[in-house]
Amino acid sequence: MAKKKKNGVKIEFLSQVRLQKKAFEEKLNLIMDSVKDENILVLEEALSAEEKAQLIEKSMEECDEDFPGIEFSGFDSRENLLDRVIAGLTGRERKDGLLIVGSSDIMEKVKEDKDAISMIAKLE
Amino acid sequence: MFGKLKKFLTGLFGKKDQIKLGIYGPPNTGKTTLANRISKEFTGEELGSVSEVPHETREVKKKEKVSMQSDGKEISMNLLDMPGISTKVDYKEFVEHGIDEEEAKVRSKEATKGVVEAIKWLDKVDAVMVVFDSAEDPYTQVNVTILGNLEAKDIPIILVANKIDLDDSEPESIKDAFPQYNFAKISAKENENMGELYKKIIECV
Repeated sequence: MAKKKKNGVKIEFLSQVRLQKKAFEEKLNLIMDSVKDENILVLEEALSAEEKAQLIEKSMEECDEDFPGIEFSGFDSRENLLDRVIAGLTGRERKDGLLIVGSSDIMEKVKEDKDAISMIAKLE
Repeated sequence: MFGKLKKFLTGLFGKKDQIKLGIYGPPNTGKTTLANRISKEFTGEELGSVSEVPHETREVKKKEKVSMQSDGKEISMNLLDMPGISTKVDYKEFVEHGIDEEEAKVRSKEATKGVVEAIKWLDKVDAVMVVFDSAEDPYTQVNVTILGNLEAKDIPIILVANKIDLDDSEPESIKDAFPQYNFAKISAKENENMGELYKKIIECV
């Protein structure tokens, strides 16, 4: 089925407070639903390396002729030793950081660094 | 921590026959060219076909019992050439390379399965070479994800800055982006600096 043409790109921002209540599986489904709906999603938290691998796996599993996959960027949590000790003792992982994710159809990375990202949202 | 524990227990209760050395990286960084170079050097046979078209390697290719020697030392390993890890696979990209549309769609499906397979193998390898195209920007989420997963599992890593024969190559930018890892700059295609890489592999593994 041909895609419905959109006039612009919707950007959704989700706060850390909102995300804290969700299990990772829920977040993953939320991300995939949103990007497949051609939105750009900005999460006020970082994903761990294992979670990023799961995000790539999930996007590959859902790839088809209409959905070529995702583009994502972000700033990772800069936790220090004390943060890790506290996380280990409390069982709560710190997720400070940022994740920007969208369908590769509409989002294109221009340049990414540890502390700067530039992206293009493509309007067709 | 679990990686260290696993390593400790393996050391106590059993010795691995063959080290599994994985070759990881994004598509088109020269992983199969590198695998072929190593395999040809130490077994006399190549491992897989190479192509300008991305995702040429769509399933894990293995060369068993590769005996690598350098500076009087020797290791025996299984060499694993992984499909390139990517966040997107668009069949139209294959069409642009002159591949028929139906065939492009099949390739695309195979490529997505290959990426998933390569990610699953991150749990099973003993050491990894992460291969970069020295002419491309090294700081990407794919590279950060591969390295982060290997580090979390305490798997030894060698960063391989490949394609240093290209005029616009900047191998040092890879070292600058990820300074904490073992590093070697080579051209697998032109057989440049391979001896240095073999030494690093033996030291690291």
